[in-house]
Amino acid sequence: MNLLWTSSGFNRKLNCYRYFAVLAIFLLFPVLTNADTIPDRKNNKLLYTFLPDYYKLQYAGGIGFLSAGVGYGFFNERIDISYFYGYVPDWVSKNDLHSVSLQLTGKPFRLNLNNKTEYYPLNIGIFLHHTFGNEYYITLPDYYPEDYYWWYPGRTGGLFLEGQYNYQFRDSDKVFSQIGFYYRIVTRGVYLTSKISNTSIPLEDIFSLGLGIIIYK
Amino acid sequence: MKKYQVILVLIMLLQIVACDDVFEYSPYVIDFDSDEINLTQKNIDHLLSTEVPDTIIIALTGDGHRFYDESEKMINTINNNFDIDFLIHTGDFADYGIPQQYQWSNEIFSKLNAPFFVVIGNHDLVSNGEESYKEMFGDYNFSFIYGKYKFIFVNTNSREYEFNGSVPDIEWVEKEITPSEDYEKAIVIFHTPPFDNDFDSELEEPFVNALTRYNNVLFATHGHLHSYNFSRPYGDNVPFVNTSSPEKKKFVILKLFNHEFTLDLIGF
Repeated sequence: MNLLWTSSGFNRKLNCYRYFAVLAIFLLFPVLTNADTIPDRKNNKLLYTFLPDYYKLQYAGGIGFLSAGVGYGFFNERIDISYFYGYVPDWVSKNDLHSVSLQLTGKPFRLNLNNKTEYYPLNIGIFLHHTFGNEYYITLPDYYPEDYYWWYPGRTGGLFLEGQYNYQFRDSDKVFSQIGFYYRIVTRGVYLTSKISNTSIPLEDIFSLGLGIIIYK
Repeated sequence: MKKYQVILVLIMLLQIVACDDVFEYSPYVIDFDSDEINLTQKNIDHLLSTEVPDTIIIALTGDGHRFYDESEKMINTINNNFDIDFLIHTGDFADYGIPQQYQWSNEIFSKLNAPFFVVIGNHDLVSNGEESYKEMFGDYNFSFIYGKYKFIFVNTNSREYEFNGSVPDIEWVEKEITPSEDYEKAIVIFHTPPFDNDFDSELEEPFVNALTRYNNVLFATHGHLHSYNFSRPYGDNVPFVNTSSPEKKKFVILKLFNHEFTLDLIGF
């Protein structure tokens, strides 16, 4: 997997274009479907079961400049497991960065603001983040003695608190009938541990924000 | 309920406007502010604009890692008690090469009432740390002359380069140490000492030979081992000084006078 992403600058660029193509498909999905052609859920039971429950697009939040993800909900939307592909273009950093992340969110509170809008005031989540590239290894390269470093830069992780709104904009029997928006405050393990052992670190330095949209199938 | 939502959104927008850097894209994004880049050259310019005193006073530290509170205390101690000309940090400025760790350390060291110089350590090179060092400080090997002394900073972290023979750059060290009319004594600064397992064993002899060839190296100072140590591992020629570290709550005050030097270990 690592080889695939680090073979050459050209390949990285190519992958980046592919990534934008995928993003475009995600973004265009609601536009491409209109009322006449939207299949209802009954007619597509098999497809419906295996399709991800939602598609997400996230800005920042420590997992990419833009990240596209898919996810499944469990226990009546109380648990959410999502998988993201995140990209950082080279105009916001020294080099572009490709990464994936796995997120587990618990949604203990749900309020129905009206019959179309629900509000999750406090979701709690944990994420694992893997950055691709030789310098972001997840096992110690063989030129190091065993246990030389305890830190593996390819795998980081953190915690987040989140608020989320969902809005049902058409008949729930149709696919893509609900859209969501979330905002989250994120911290990473590597920042949190530094803050715990150092009072001098400003609290605001260990937290950052992320924003995202969700399209429910 | 609508009102409540509007207020929430307003609070969020306010937060975004109030502080920059609220969005993190990855821990490995290198996006330093203008006062966090090119620091080696800026500090050299700053230092060379000051008059050289008869006795040059230099603080030595290294192996900062994640001891930010201790580092801050050290900087306060130096500011309050010593009129130093500059500070030398012998590497491991960022615990695991993460941009935020570079920024945290820089935030602390930039409060020093004097310029500071950092030689790259093995921990500074982890992940994309090499890029961060380049952005924040500049070249991995650099030197400057202050008074009649030449300060030579060398990247000696061979293991991070898979012992490929290019680190340390012996040719560069030899060239820098070659005597000239501009200086009389040299002080060589690096992170990994040549007698350590993380130093390329094939380059140990050429490196030590370069240091001893012209008999003009006053001493070498390094980090990596965290504790203060003064030794002459290669005979009488060149003494080696391991700076202490914030972790050990000690630093060294070096005084240079008339080609002689004194070292004081200061606790804080």
